[in-house]
Amino acid sequence: MTEQIIFYLLAAVITLAALGVVLLPTLMHSALCLGLCLAGVAGIFASLGSDFIFAAQILVYVGGIAVLILFVVLLAGSASGRITRQINAQWLPALLLCGLFGWAFLKIVAHFSFGLAPQSAPEPTVRALAGLMLGDYAVPFELISIVLLASMTGAVLFGRRKAE
Amino acid sequence: MTLSHYLALSGVLFAIGLFGVLTRRNVIGILMSIELMLNAANINFVAFNRFLYPGRYEGHLTVIFIITLAAAEVVVGLALVMAIYKNLKSVYVEDYNILKG
Repeated sequence: MTEQIIFYLLAAVITLAALGVVLLPTLMHSALCLGLCLAGVAGIFASLGSDFIFAAQILVYVGGIAVLILFVVLLAGSASGRITRQINAQWLPALLLCGLFGWAFLKIVAHFSFGLAPQSAPEPTVRALAGLMLGDYAVPFELISIVLLASMTGAVLFGRRKAE
Repeated sequence: MTLSHYLALSGVLFAIGLFGVLTRRNVIGILMSIELMLNAANINFVAFNRFLYPGRYEGHLTVIFIITLAAAEVVVGLALVMAIYKNLKSVYVEDYNILKG
């Protein structure tokens, strides 16, 4: 019973915050809603018993990406968000497309009846994940660090002033 | 809680993010909506791993890779937005119609 209450509370928080991200006219409010939504997704990870992903989500998304987006909103934002229209003219076809997608997705989920309950209690995942990262998946793991280094270099390159 | 609940939640989140990508005029808003869609995919990965393959952790590993790539994507994207904003003084995508800044 407690599990149901927690899940539906988290689902409500995630859905409302995501709607806030998409629909609120002021970009600052959208960014704050994004942080709330990402924290809700971290709660979903915790309820699924994946402890390391929960910590990584809080650290990287809520503590890193949401704060980074807030900084850019403060740097590049303007007060015009309240006056000018924030949604483009194609909102009706987009709404139809997204409604169609959501309806089809829910029909597929219902059709395959993934109504199974978890078969075992969740276990700590950190040790097994470390074994995978340094064992079978060592090469993708190193490739990811190269991608991070390249993106950091690219960000510095784009962000610096032009040498004239 | 069954697998269907988590899948339905992620489907709703993905649809909301898709709507944001399609309709937002502000480029920072589009980046935020992309983050929503990536998070919906992450919920799917963890839920399938938990319910269908207990005792294996490849799904979790994929989610860690996705989180890392999302961080890299957002860093480069925001740096580009700042660079364009310095030249064009606009954050609306319909003003971004030239490649040469």
